This record gives sequence, structure tokens and C-alpha cells, in this order.
Amino acid sequence: MQNDVESFESKLLYQEMDWDQFDLNPKVIAALKKADIKSVKEILNLSEADLQRLMKLSSADIQYLLKTISRTLRKNSMLTALQLYQDKHHLTSQHQKLSLGCSVLDNLLKGGIPLVGITELAGESSAGKTQISLQLCLCVQYPYKYGGLESGAVYICTEDVFPSKRLQQLIDQQHKLRADVPTEIIQKIKFGNSIFIEHAADLDTFHNCITKRISLLLTRGMARLVVVDSIAALFRCEFGVSDSVTKARYLQTFGAQLHSLSTRFRTPIMCINQVTDAVSESEAAQCNCSAVDSRVSPALGITWANQLLMRLMVSRVSQPEQSSGVALHHTGSVRTLRVVFAPHLPSSFCYYTVKLEGVKGINPLHDMASCFKNL
Amino acid sequence: MQRDVGSLPLAPALRARLVAAGFQTAQELLDTGPCGLSKEIGISKEEALEALQVVRQECHSDATQTAGAPGTSRKCTALELLEQEQAQGFIITFCSALDNILGGGVQLTKITEICGEPGVGKTQLCMQLAVDVQIPECFGGLAGEAVFIDTEGSFMVDRVVDVATACVQHCQLIAEAHQEEDHLKALETFSLESILSHIYYFRCRDYIELLAQVYLLPDFLSEHSKVRLVVIDGIAFPFRHDFEDLSLRTRLLNGLAQQLIIIANDHKAAVVLTNQMTTRIGQSQSTLVPALGESWGHAATVRLIFHWDNNQRLATLYKSPSQKESTIPYHITVSALL
Repeated sequence: MQNDVESFESKLLYQEMDWDQFDLNPKVIAALKKADIKSVKEILNLSEADLQRLMKLSSADIQYLLKTISRTLRKNSMLTALQLYQDKHHLTSQHQKLSLGCSVLDNLLKGGIPLVGITELAGESSAGKTQISLQLCLCVQYPYKYGGLESGAVYICTEDVFPSKRLQQLIDQQHKLRADVPTEIIQKIKFGNSIFIEHAADLDTFHNCITKRISLLLTRGMARLVVVDSIAALFRCEFGVSDSVTKARYLQTFGAQLHSLSTRFRTPIMCINQVTDAVSESEAAQCNCSAVDSRVSPALGITWANQLLMRLMVSRVSQPEQSSGVALHHTGSVRTLRVVFAPHLPSSFCYYTVKLEGVKGINPLHDMASCFKNL
Repeated sequence: MQRDVGSLPLAPALRARLVAAGFQTAQELLDTGPCGLSKEIGISKEEALEALQVVRQECHSDATQTAGAPGTSRKCTALELLEQEQAQGFIITFCSALDNILGGGVQLTKITEICGEPGVGKTQLCMQLAVDVQIPECFGGLAGEAVFIDTEGSFMVDRVVDVATACVQHCQLIAEAHQEEDHLKALETFSLESILSHIYYFRCRDYIELLAQVYLLPDFLSEHSKVRLVVIDGIAFPFRHDFEDLSLRTRLLNGLAQQLIIIANDHKAAVVLTNQMTTRIGQSQSTLVPALGESWGHAATVRLIFHWDNNQRLATLYKSPSQKESTIPYHITVSALL
């Protein structure tokens, strides 16, 4: 029902309107038709002076016109914060989040990923970004009761090949990761069937993907998570310093389109981002990388950061006895998940490891000692 | 005033009802008032208010045309204006350093703009103001209500609950220390639920919805006369994409600014806007500046820029008609921005 209301309102904005339907003075309606004004958007784009001139109407008439269409557009648009707070229905509530499949990680995020908005997951390579994203693609398929959204996921690969082997491992081990869910429920979910993989290695393909292909899946309710792995790769080769204006425009357009999809379908968008060396003190400071002290910050600058609701960073905590080339799921290497900014969360972090069954947070009171013992 | 009802620019159905109910002149309509009108002809009070507004404007423009004189204007001396301004209320922020550099707090009847990078605390301050504006008068507040227009979807009600709870506790401590009757009485109605119920939340998903919402604000504020704060979080987001024609954007933003100035003045409310930062590439280096261009810089009366210096958050008062430019440090805690 939510989707119906929203698509009606967007039609209201841009489509040709039958002005006779509005509660307007007939001379105003006639003037609208004569001036060939077809949509609400056209009216609101014009200044009052222009409208008066085009339609040859008085200021009072124009005021009344503006108020009438604004009122129709914004009918039922007010909520009090109390209503937002008291709304506990899983289809509309702000309290509903997408769980990460681990109570420690969910606690860090006060429930999980917010359903409306773009969440960024940034970090160095092999810090665990893809692992967390794959895990989310499985979590989203669980019932609402277990922190899922009872729907599938769209995974957009922009550089690497999709890690299907790892996904299969995770699917096979779900019962181990999700001990909180009864086995019958886990067995009923056909995880592989609901993950839709898209490849988009350049900007135009990506644009096409998010404007046409995935809105189809979202409209049909077949997916309620979109993962972009990674957003940075799209911009790596194509832009030099002199193209910064074009790059910024692409970033803003993609950001706005993803944001719009997220709002329309109450679907979280998870964008993976790479890191670059911090250019300024303030960038490094903001990422609070004092734990790692490697002075890196997420790529794509402030233009991209402005599009985000929440920014998370992952990093490997360096271990002296760590040997390189050891496969991920055999190491117990400890990583950090940090909240860099979010409107509802303080700056905080927790530790986690990547196990065979997936990403698991470390409860500092219990697991830290045993985790380090095993290294 | 003596204008015939049948000639007024109202919807035909409405006009027919008025004539059928026996109204003949515009003056009769104005004399009846919205309540009487809605009862007489069976329309909602909102529609009656609208109709009367149209009638009033029509009569006003008639009067100026026939009399050939400027419309009614209030004349007052600069001293009167100064006294009025000093009597204006402020919305305190609970960050005394911030209140100090602002000259008391966020000022009513003015537009205050908060600029900063993502994550620096702009939305936090807005949420705090939406709570602080409601503090009862005996605790030094305005006992007002708040309108919160959200364009980015960053209004997380759980955070507002934290801030509101802390604010109520703060007032309770004051009441316990002073043990005055009006404090205790005020606390009876100043609770988490009452605070949340007086924050009116509007979600605008693009600039058209925002423009429409602002057209409706004057009537909303007339109906909810206790509103003393209007927040638009953020003003930049809907205007920074989708605009091939930058002159259209400039014109729309200027129109928006003018409307907000009028709203702030007419309804004695503080208007608070949040803005993004963008990179301006200079000759030798690039700097961060507020978004939306140079001409937008004139819209706000007061401009605050939030930024980082190492791990410390700083607020700089960049533009103010009465206070000097200064910078103070602040923190964001569970309960507030301090």
C-alpha cells in the first residue's frame, strides 16, 4: 500500500494533469489550459510573477492556485515525532532494521542497517567488506521476526567476479551462524534463488542498471537489499583531475537515484567503497583511525559522503604473527567495524572475525581472550 | 469591501453556497469569520480560512487600486525596532559556548544556516533545537512547538527520544533544586510524549515537494500558533542534482529564502536550515565552502560552520548582523550537543 501512495504522488508531480479535477475557479482552469501548463512541476517551477503574466490572473488567484495544488500534493504528509516513535508495524516503522546476522554487530548499530538511505562500508582490500555484504544478502531473506525483510537481494559487481563459491559455503553454514533461528525455517529458504547478480563495469551500464533493471526487481518485491561492490571502482580509471566537475555530477546523480529507490521501496542500499590515503588532517581525524593509525579515508571525497546516511569502516587489526596468503576462513584474524557517522549512533566500534560460517562480532567480555588465544 | 460575493475569485461551488446562504458582500463574509462561515455553509474550517484569505487579498488589492495610496504599512522608529529585537526570544541549545557566540541562542524571526561536512552534527543540533524550543517558560524556554522538514531521511526518532529524555531530566533536576510550584506544575505537561507530539514532521523527497510544503507553511503556522521553530534538514540535498539550468535553481532558492524570511517574521519563528559543504578549487589549493553558490550565501541572517580540527569538533560563527566571528569547540554526547 505504501508503494501505491508513493507512485500516485510521483505521477501527480510530473504527468499531465486533468485540471478539471482540481477544486479551482473555472477561469483559472481555462488559463492553465490556454498557457499550455500541463504538470504540477511546471507550475511550481515558475515564479509567481511569471505565472501572473502567463495566465493573466491576479496575485490572489495565483496564490490560491499554488496553495490548492500544494495541498493536493501534500495531503496527509504530516506526522508527529510521537507517531513515528509509536509506529511498530514492520512495514512502516523506523525501528525496523536489517540485521547483520550477529547480535554483537547488530548491537553496535542499534538493530542493524536502516531501511531507508545509503549505507557505506569502506575499508582496505580484504578487510571483510565483501564478507559482510554476502552475509547481508542472506540475512535479508529471513522473516521479519529474525531481522530479515523476507525478500531477496541485488548484488551489483563493478570489478571483481561474484564470489559464488564463498556464497555457497555461507549458505551451507547458515544453521551454524544463525543459531537463533529454528532449523526448519532455515531449510525452507532457497537462499541461492533470491540473490540477483548484476555486472556493471562502467558508468553507463551502472546508470542503466539502477534506473531500469533493479527497479523492476524492487517493484515486484523480489529484492529488498541492493549491494554495490564497489562504487569506487566505477570512478577509478575514467576521471582525471580536470574532470572533477563531471565526476561530481555523476556521483550526485547516482546518489540521488539510489536514494530515491531506497525511499520508494524502503530498501537499504549498501555501497562498498575503497580507501585512499587521507589528504587532509580533518579527513583522517573524522575516520578516527587512531586504532590503526594508517591515515586512510574513504575514496570519492565529500561529494559522495554528502549522499550517505551512514558510514562504516572496516580494517584489519595488524597481528605480528599473521602470515600472508592464509585463506580468510582459516585465520582468526581480528578486524574492526567502526561507525564513522550516523544520525542515530555515536562513534563506536567493535571487533569481529571472519569464520567459515560468516562474520561474527566479538563480545569483548567473552570472546576476546579466547580469540587471541587461538592465534 | 462592498464587493459582490458573486464576483470574488472563489471556486464556483463555494460561491454558489455562499450566495444561497444569503451572503451578498465581501464585508459580510469577513465579519462572519471562519468559524461562523464553516458552520453556515457546511465547509471545513480550513476551507473557510482559505476563502477568507482570498477575499481579504482581493479587497486589499481593490483598495490600493481605487485609493491610489500604498497599502497599510506599519511605521515605527528604529528605537522601537531595537526594543522589539531585544525582546525577541532565543532558543537555547544547552551548549553555553554556542549560545554565547550566537548572542543568546538561535534567534526568533531570523534564518540561521548550519553548514558542515557529513557527520559533523548538523542534524544533531536541529533535533536538539526541536526539543529545546519546547522547554517551559519557567525553565527559561519558549514553550513552543517545532516543524521539522526532512529532505534526506536523516531524522531518526530514537535519537530525538534520547535528547528529549535528557532534557526532561535536566528540568526535573532544576525543579528539585528550587522546589517552586510553577516548576513542578510545568513538569506535569512536559514529558517525552508531549515533546514528541509537538514536533511536526514532514518528509520531502524532492525539491518540488519541498516547494509545495513551504507554500503551505504559513497556513500551518497560523493554525499551530505555538510553533516557534521551523527546521529544513537539509536545504542543499534536493537542489544539488537534476538541475541543468542553474539559473532556475538560483531563482527557486531565492524565492524560497524570501518566503522563509516572511514566515520567520510573521510568525515569530526561528528558521534553521542545514547546508552541505562543497569543494572550491582555487589557484593553489582547494577549500571547503558552503554549497548552493554565492547568491545563496545572502539568504541566511546567521551562518554557522561546523568543522573538524584533528579530533575536535568546532563551530565557527561566520556571519551575523550583531555578533563577531568566533570559533568554539563542542561535543556530541548521548543527551545533547555540548
